[in-house]
This record gives sequence, structure tokens and C-alpha cells, in this order.
Amino acid sequence: MGALQDEPLFSPALRQPRSLREAWELKSACAEQAVYVSGGTLLRTQWEAGTAAVPQVLIDLRNIAGMEDVTRDDDYLTIGSLVTLTACRRSGALASAGPAAAEAARQIAAPAVRNLATLGGNIASGYGDILPALLVHDAELAVYDGNLLRVQPVEAWLERRWSGAIPPAELVAGVRLPLDQGSGGSRLAVFRKVGRREAFTASLVTIAVTADWDAAARTLRRVRLAAGGGSGRPQRLAAAEALLEGAELSRSLLGAVYEAVEHGFASYDDPFAGEQYKKKTAGNLIVSELWQTLELKARS
Amino acid sequence: MLLNKESSGSRWRIRPDGQDKVSGKLQYLTDMAAEGMLTGRVLRAQQAHARILSICTEAALAVPGVHAVITHEDVPGLNGFGIALPHQPVFCYDRVRYTGDAIAAVAAENDAIAEYALSLIQVEYEPLPLLEDAEEAMKPEAILLHEEGNVLHHTEYRRGDPDEAFGACAHVVEETYFTPRQMHTYMETEGGLFIPESNGRLTVYSATQHGLMDRRQLSRILALPEEDIRVVSSPIGGSFGGKDELNVQPYGALLALRTRRPVRLHNSRYESVRAGLKRHPMKITMKTGCDSEGQIVAHRVRIISDTGAYATLGAEVLNFATEHVIGPYRIPHVEVEGFAVYTNNGVSGEFRGFGGNQAIFALEGQVDRLAQQLGLDPWELRRRNLRQYGDPGPLGQPIAQTHGAVQVWEALKASPLLRAAEDGGCEGEGSDSQPEGQLPPWIVTGTGAALAMHGAGLGYGIPDPAGGRLSLALDGKIEAVFGYEEFGQGLIATMEQMLVEQFGFAGDDLRIIIGDTDVVPDSGSSTASRSTSMMWMALQRLRPEFTAQLLETAAATTGEPAGELKLGCGGVWKGCSLLISYAQLARGLKEPLVCETKFQYPTTPLQRVGAHFLYTYSAIAVRVELNLLTGRVRITDQYHAVAAGPVANPQGYLGQIEGGSSMAVGFTLSEDAVMTGGAYVTKNMDTYLVPTLIDMNGRIQVEAIEDLPEHDTYGPRGIGEIGSVHLAPAVAAAIFQAVRKRVNKLPVEPELLQETFFTTQKAVGSYAG
Repeated sequence: MGALQDEPLFSPALRQPRSLREAWELKSACAEQAVYVSGGTLLRTQWEAGTAAVPQVLIDLRNIAGMEDVTRDDDYLTIGSLVTLTACRRSGALASAGPAAAEAARQIAAPAVRNLATLGGNIASGYGDILPALLVHDAELAVYDGNLLRVQPVEAWLERRWSGAIPPAELVAGVRLPLDQGSGGSRLAVFRKVGRREAFTASLVTIAVTADWDAAARTLRRVRLAAGGGSGRPQRLAAAEALLEGAELSRSLLGAVYEAVEHGFASYDDPFAGEQYKKKTAGNLIVSELWQTLELKARS
Repeated sequence: MLLNKESSGSRWRIRPDGQDKVSGKLQYLTDMAAEGMLTGRVLRAQQAHARILSICTEAALAVPGVHAVITHEDVPGLNGFGIALPHQPVFCYDRVRYTGDAIAAVAAENDAIAEYALSLIQVEYEPLPLLEDAEEAMKPEAILLHEEGNVLHHTEYRRGDPDEAFGACAHVVEETYFTPRQMHTYMETEGGLFIPESNGRLTVYSATQHGLMDRRQLSRILALPEEDIRVVSSPIGGSFGGKDELNVQPYGALLALRTRRPVRLHNSRYESVRAGLKRHPMKITMKTGCDSEGQIVAHRVRIISDTGAYATLGAEVLNFATEHVIGPYRIPHVEVEGFAVYTNNGVSGEFRGFGGNQAIFALEGQVDRLAQQLGLDPWELRRRNLRQYGDPGPLGQPIAQTHGAVQVWEALKASPLLRAAEDGGCEGEGSDSQPEGQLPPWIVTGTGAALAMHGAGLGYGIPDPAGGRLSLALDGKIEAVFGYEEFGQGLIATMEQMLVEQFGFAGDDLRIIIGDTDVVPDSGSSTASRSTSMMWMALQRLRPEFTAQLLETAAATTGEPAGELKLGCGGVWKGCSLLISYAQLARGLKEPLVCETKFQYPTTPLQRVGAHFLYTYSAIAVRVELNLLTGRVRITDQYHAVAAGPVANPQGYLGQIEGGSSMAVGFTLSEDAVMTGGAYVTKNMDTYLVPTLIDMNGRIQVEAIEDLPEHDTYGPRGIGEIGSVHLAPAVAAAIFQAVRKRVNKLPVEPELLQETFFTTQKAVGSYAG
């Protein structure tokens, strides 16, 4: 069989680095022949579908210490990349510091997948459903570039990711969410997902919203809106945010926000839903959440 | 009677094959292994339509670990299969017509080697024009997929004078309906183990819905006498029609005979999608007219059925649709024309509902649209046109008469769902839908209903044998031997329950043998909602003689008079005491006591191929919730009223209706095997979406109407399909009630129902009010 090693008759070699540095070196040495893997749930679907080749080398990140915990200090909740989506879903600390992200984790795939799939993998894909939620929580990523762990906002990382500016060996080591200071607990935080069925489905559209609601003044402040879905780019919706920031929430304002979301959200046609449907869905979902705030919270 | 565990009392039995299935202990045929076995793999076409210029297998054969590479040159018998028309090549040699077409097969030491060998087989193609649309394929200039033309089958039915009748109608509705290419999505994909025996015979362990039919087809391909082939075909991890036709069996059999080694094949989900059967997508155009009183007078139908590359049962499915587009209504002037058309889109074939699902979606849609024009309640319009006891079947044929249509109409009329809809309220109790007042303004609800009659059995003119055997075996077991298959529908459980209830046996007294062509009689296929009916009729025939034989033997052994004895648990009883056990009785035998029966499924005397004689009737009401923000539909409540004669097995009956309805939910809301360029876009279950538990978390109630006319001798009617055939039009009606939009295409497209809720022009208050 030796003569056939260059042909499909092989299993990828498995490397299990003990440190970020070691992982980074392996990946740098092997370049395209190697792929980072943790849960492998997304990669596996790509291999089966033939949309990605099984690589020569799998760099298993699961033995690297320090990326498997959820920790909290005065300012941040930090979640390591190896934390599974099941753990994210069950984490009380995440539910408190990042309720939209916890809800996103709850809605991704199905239990068997979530038990394997990691937060880091969902982020590293560049389009995972957790990303819009991280955007509205002002989350930052700890990114390892071979020398240093640098912290950068999710939005800046997405910009680099989608413009192809991320070096292949760079690693997402973790996420940190700022702990809420000053909203007095009335911060709105929502994540919604629409797919083609009620569970275990790829998303067509995801939206996430955070904002401070001042019931007396009927205004929203520190408004963050984001949307994504499918394999599209998760994005902040700046124009709609600007309309809402500090303005008195009214039905006519909601109409303008809807239009700003529909206009501002860039998505794509896929075989099951057109871009227009996705734009409308994003607008409807975001504004319906604001409407509920206006109608329900205003009453209470 | 509402059918459930409580109402069934002691008739609610633990399913004999249940524990092993839910615990994962049960070994399916695709879980089997044999010493020294090889792995078989099939090379499928790279193109959906092309001429084959050359096939070169040399490099594949040279791979170490490869034991055989076979092509059309290695088929000793007929290079073709197909239950009705054996023209699908086992291996293509001059042309491929869909991307599931087989060109070569490999047997190797393991899967990786086999796959590698496949990659080395060189096939040169010359692309041919692709036929992706059935109506394009019908045009005279279209390239012919088969010499005899692109229309596999053409149906016509006419009575009265529709042209003239339409002129006199007060209301006429015209609509075209489109239904999806649904996939069976069985849990266990196609596969099996093929063992060449030392005596020259071949044993095939591979799922099918008719073992003896597989044996016949394999015999033709292998040029082996049927007696030299043994097909073991149960238990099966789901079929729903999809494993009725041959799939991997020719390849496993040929490879095993070639290598003289056991060969195992098991399709990946990808290969299953690519090569396997699907439900026929149909385009059904209907024009239906009624008078000012709501009497339907004229009905014209044109059916275009995309049958894909080969026949299998595409003609029979079209026959079924042709019958069921007329349905349970008295219509004097009818004209139906149907075409099953070859295309390069996969292969469409047999699938639970068998053309009824498509036909009933369209027909019931017409009735609802007419009711709207009339300003009449749609259920009342159905009453005015419903068939009555004594009426002929849809094609004018004599049928077994029951009051089924009226019974299910009345039962549904009295159902909580329809009563609540009439009151304009929501039937909240037990349902998981929220009371209306608490719903946000973008959630709207609606209730809809539909009715169906569904034929069972293969129909006039198609061999439809039935039969079975009961015996007291020498080890004292009561053996029931039938040529049926267990694919999850609960056939074994139903057989056991019938034997227990009709004869008085205990479950432990029994040994039920099915799914092995070496031992079973020809009971016909386990398809077309026929098995339960046929088992019941067989036992009716066997009971007097088998009971008498057992009692007389007991009398002779014990000296007690036969007239005072009866069959019971564990043995023969006299009064309240067990006189002699079946084991003791068997000890005195030199040969087993055997009773056998053979008969045919009852058919209509009308000489029209496929016309049915026995029907099941059902009416369904559903309640849906629509989210106008997303256009998505949730079914929160279903009520099925089913008239199918006595309930043979309550748990099985309920399981069939609930299971059928979940397939219908997929057909209605999410399932479509999308194809472009002759290739599947939905290649796996991550894009081909069947309902999950969360999609099915609404309530389902089943009312079983068991009464049959006194003279009826046919017993329980089939219920394997009826739960799946009429949910779609009921959902469409519920959607219309909620938002006044008509659905004519399945699965329902959220885009159609989505509203723009919040614009600067339109404030939400206009909805909220």
C-alpha cells in the first residue's frame, strides 16, 4: 500500500500540540496541508459533501491548556475556544453576561453536534450563528498570531476574516464579553434564528439585539443590532442603530428602522430562500423585538 | 372512539420487536458481517445524460486489495431491472440517463480501497441534452430518453360531457398545483450482505418490500434459477416504498458470485439520495365547476408526472393519481388525462400514498376554492357532493360498499377542532397553542380540513396474491409464516395481536416467520396498505381448519371429546383448566400440523388496470399558526377521523396515522429534493429537511371509526398510507382561513406568507387592532 500514499487511500496524520505556539508552528510548517480541528463537526460535513478535501494533517487543538474554561473577573467573562456549545448553552455565567450568545448556542444544530462542536470552531468558520450575538455583546476575541495573544473586537476580526487578511496559522483562543456596567439590569438582549424547520437546521437569518431601555424617556441607548445567517457575513447594522440611539421609540421610528435594516443587511440568494426574504425577515425580527419593548415594557 | 392507550385498555400491547429497536440492540441486515467478506461499491454516472464512449477498468483492477471490478460485460442474464418494466440497466454501457446510473462495481478488502478503485475507473462521456422538465420532454423535438418515447404512460378517463357542462356552471375554478420531489428518508439506507453458498446457491440479506419479487428479478439478472436464490429481507429500517424496487441487490449478488466471497454493500446517505427513488413531482391542472347550489358538475384534470429516468412503478403511480383526482365526490362530467414523463431527474417511484398525496392536494384545493366562490362553508360543500353508500368508485367501478365517506365527514364535523372553528374561537384545552389573546399580532391562526378516500391493494389487472401458513411445529410453537416484511410499520406486532385475539394463543406460544423466501409462501408485497387486510383475511380462512386440527389432535391424545375443548394460552383447554400444552401436543406428532391458504386480493370487476376495490376513508382538520414576520407555518393541532374497519392493533394504527402525518408535514412544509442540471442540490439531510420532534410537537388525535356494514367480509382496511395523504390540503385551507392566501405549490414557501409589518407607511397598529 506504500506506493499509494499520495492517493486517496490514507487517513490524515493527527498532531496533538500542547501549546498554542506548537499548534501555530505545525500549521505554519504544513500550510494548506493541515487544518486545525477541535470538534470537527463543520469540517466533517464539508469533507462528506466534497466541498473541502480531507487534509493531510489534522492539528487537534484539544490538548492545549487554558482554552477549555469559562472564567470571570471584574470586567470580563472569558470563554475559551474549546468550550463546547453544550457548555455555552448551560453556562449560567454566559446566560447572565451574554444572554443573546447563550441563546444562540442553544439554537445551533442538535445535542450530539453541540456536545462536540466548540465555540472557537463556530467563530473560526467566519459565519457561525454565535457571531451576530457576540457582535451585539461587544465581545472581543483573543487571537494568537504566533507570538502574542492579541485582543480585538469581533467586528474587526470579521473584517479581516472576510477580506482574507487572516494568516492561515492564526488561532482564535477565546472570547471575552464585557460585564455590563451601568444598565441597571434593564438591558435588552435578544437572539433570534430562522431556518427551514424548527430545530437542527442551518440558519437562513439570525438577528441579535442589545440595548438599554429607559422606560421613562422611552428611549434606547447603547443600541447594538446585528444580523447574519447561512454562510453569509455576520454584520452590525449601523444605520439602523444610529436611528435608534437616544431617540424616542415610536411606531413611526420603527418603520424607519425596518427600512434601514432591510436596506442595510447584505445577504445572498440560496436555493431555498432569496436575499429579499432574508432582508425582510431580519427587518421584521429586529423591529418586532423593539415593538415588544415599546408595547410590553412601556406598559409595565 | 378516540384511539389512545387509555381507550385501548388491554388491547394496547407491548410491541414484540419494540425493545430491541429502541435500545439499538436489533441487528438490521446492513449491520451483518460475514467472515472474509469484501466491501462492494458502485460507480455512479458523472453526468445526468450522456453517451458512454468508453469504460476502462484496468487501473482499478490492478489496485492491491481489489478482488473484482465488474461492468455490463459481467451480467450473465438480463442487464435490466424494474418491477413493472425491467429496463433500468444494472450497468449502463452506451448511455447514462441520471446521476444514479451504475456503470461499474468493485469488490475490495475494505471501503477505502474500493473507493480508491472507483476513482481509477475511466469513463469517457459525450454529453447529451438534458431533460430537466417533464413538459419540455414531451415536446416533439425533445431528445428521446427511451426508444419508445419520453412518455412512459398516458392515462385517460372520461365520463359525461365536461365541455358542455362547464358552460352551464355557475362557478368555475381553475388552478395548477405543484408538489415536491419528496424523499423516503428511511433511517437505514439501502444495503445488504450477499453470500455465495458452498452448494452453489446465493443468499441475499437485503431489505425489500417483496422478497419473492426480488428473487424473481435477481434470477433474471444472474441467470440463476429462482430456487437457487434465497432472499432474507426483514427486519428493515424503514422503506415507505423506497426499497420496493431493487437497489443494491444486483451489485452485491454479481460481486459475490464473481469473487466467491461474501460481499457487503451499504449506501452512504449521499449515494442513497443520488441513486434512490423519490416521490413523483407532479403538476396538476384542474378546472372544476359547480351549479349555484354547490353541486359539482364538471371536473377536468391534467396531470404531468416527472417519472425520472426509468419506469419502476411510474405508470402505476399515475394510474393511482388518475383515480384519486376524482376522489370521493359525485361528479357527472369528468375528464382526466395524465402523463408520466421520462426526464433526467433521478428516478421517481413508489412512495407511501402512491400518487394520492399529489392528487388529493389538488382536488381538495379545488373544493375549497369553489366554496369560496360560492360563499359557502367548505365542509358543507363537501357534504353536498360526497359519495354515498352504493355509489360506484371514482372510475365508475364497483367497490366494496361502506358508509366511510359520510362517517368521516360527520366525525370531523363533530370534532372539537371544527366546532371551535365554527364558533370562531380556539380550542385551547390540551393543545399547545396559546390562547389567541396572548399571541403577538404577527402570529395568526387558521383551521382547515380535507377529506380523502384512498385505495388499497394493487388494483385490477395486477397480480396481487395473498396467503399464509399456520402450523404447530414439532417444538410446540405455533408458527405463522407469511411472505411479508417488517419495516417498522408494526406488522409482526399486528400479526401477533390477531393470533392472540382470534385464536386465544399467548404471545409466547407463537413464532412469527416472515421475510425469508426459502420458507414463506407467496403472500404478495408489503405495499399498498394491503398487509394487515391480507393477514386478517388469511387468518379468517385458516382459523376453522387450523383450530379443528389442533382440537382433534388434542382429543385424540387425551381422549376428551373435541367439542368440549378450546384453544387458549399455552395449550388446549377444557373448561377452566389447561388440558394439554402445545409442546405436549407436538410431542405426539411425526410431522407438523400445517394449514395453508392462497387467495387473491379482492378486486373490482371493472376491467380498468389499477382500479381499486377496497378503500379507506379519512377526514382531517388541522390548526396552524403562521408567523407573518417569517412566513413560517406551525401545525399546532391535527384531528384525523379514519374509517378503516376494525382496529387490528391500536398502537400500530395510531403509529401509522401519526407517522404518516409526519411525512405529510414534511411534504407540506419543508421537504423537497431540489435538482438542478440533473444533480441533487439537497445531497444530504443537512439541506433535505424532514420534520424534527419540535416540528411535530402539536397535538394529534385519531378517531377510529370501526363500523362496517353487516355483510362486509373484508375486515380491517389498510391504514399505512391514509395518514399521509390529506394533511397538505388541510394546511392550505387553514392558511387561507388565516391570511386569505391560496397555496398551490408545496412545500409552502414562506415568501408567499411573509408580510412587511413595519414600514413608515404601515404602522403595526393596523394589524394589532
